Amino acid sequence: MTLSELTNERQGYSFGYLDAYAKRELRRRALKAIAIPGYQVPYASRELPIARGWGTGGLQVTLALVGPDSIVKVIDQGADDSVNAANLRRFIKRMSGASTTTDTLRATILQSRHRIPEEIMQEGQVLVLQVPDPEPLRRVQPDISKAAQLHADADYGQMWLGLYEQLVRFKQYVQGADYPSLVHGRYIMNPSPIPRWDTPKLHQAAHLTLLSAGREKRMYAVPPYTNVQPLEFDDVPFQIEDQTGRVCKTTGAANKFMNELPQDDGSATFELSDSGYAEKLKNDLAPGATYFDEQGNFYHDGYLKPPVRPA
Amino acid sequence: MIYPTYTPDEARDRETFLALMWALSYPGRIHDIGGAAHTHDTFSAIGAALLDLETSFFTPDKTLADELLRSGARHLPASEAAYHFYPALDGAALASITQANIGTMLRPDEGATLIIGCAFASGSTFSLAGPGIQTTQEIRLGGIPARFWGLRERAIRYPLGWDVYLIDHGHVIGLPRTTQVG
Repeated sequence: MTLSELTNERQGYSFGYLDAYAKRELRRRALKAIAIPGYQVPYASRELPIARGWGTGGLQVTLALVGPDSIVKVIDQGADDSVNAANLRRFIKRMSGASTTTDTLRATILQSRHRIPEEIMQEGQVLVLQVPDPEPLRRVQPDISKAAQLHADADYGQMWLGLYEQLVRFKQYVQGADYPSLVHGRYIMNPSPIPRWDTPKLHQAAHLTLLSAGREKRMYAVPPYTNVQPLEFDDVPFQIEDQTGRVCKTTGAANKFMNELPQDDGSATFELSDSGYAEKLKNDLAPGATYFDEQGNFYHDGYLKPPVRPA
Repeated sequence: MIYPTYTPDEARDRETFLALMWALSYPGRIHDIGGAAHTHDTFSAIGAALLDLETSFFTPDKTLADELLRSGARHLPASEAAYHFYPALDGAALASITQANIGTMLRPDEGATLIIGCAFASGSTFSLAGPGIQTTQEIRLGGIPARFWGLRERAIRYPLGWDVYLIDHGHVIGLPRTTQVG
């Protein structure tokens, strides 16, 4: 045996950029996050060659998972071609040799900022969501130590009170993206700033979801086939954004989440937010089944209830 | 383009972690720990993937303990260790498990992780339910004394509790604290 056989060749970067200790820590934390759905597990959050707030939480999780056999998709607000998504995807590829795709159904790891794709993700896929603020109680309890105690006691009374106040003032829930949701009947989590349209997709999903906030150094998970319930009162159900009447100007798709494009005359046109799905429609490639069908019905029957306006 | 080298050590640790991650994500399903043929090799692979000087372990097996110590992790008493390795469950092992850390309400993630050797596809049949399982999942397990399930039931007061990996040769089944065993 020679010394060269015992050591690895000198290289500029560790595999996956992070060193072995960082990856082991992330992996240990990820396993505990999966074991306690919705609980925010603290982790060290290393420095990366992008600024905090630009997806470092999601990127660290992806780097702990990725290998040469991985197929990675990165989206930003649904788009594969935004600057942030393109740079993250290129960085992940350069640090791991993973292949990349824009096809949701081909991806083994899908890192996303603020969207869940329209096509139904499958078993064995990992959705990594970038999280700017992991603490759902921040709106009612700015002290993070006190918020942790509220989570420990499952004392979510102030969240319910906030919801009630919204109904009293506006006759509807006014929280847009990042809608607080109860995971496995125990922890309230921020599902990251995905629109309300995407929140139900986490409920009883076939795939694993890992959510990570690099700046706040917190990671949490929604394991496959886990109950995720957006906060709602029995008599005023949670509502998704109404996409009725919105038709994509390039693909003709309806009842999907749309980007609104303001026009000079004050009107608006719409296009699909999910660029990978739009690409398939444009090229006549058969897309997979979607969470919402052409009529706007969610794939878990009875999960979303008809709207009710309080008197 | 030249990529950073995917070394054999890197590959072993990542593939072991992925097997553990999917085992915990889909409790009751059998996943393979890449390249590990024997239960002892699997324990070593899990130790290499998860342990370093930032964490701690407990095992009654002296040979395994010597091996795991090389990771830099501290060998602590059962009541304090983060990772417990039990190649077999005898009376002494069960006594140690009663002391395993279940975490606190503020930090339930401090609950221990138990890695236990057993035999799949023999012994009693159990029905599992909970997160990661669409309806129910049946498993057959041998080498796990009935008393173990009583200990698990008493330890788990969700979110408190410990999480279990069951190992048979190069295969692993995950039982997070959220899984109900019937």
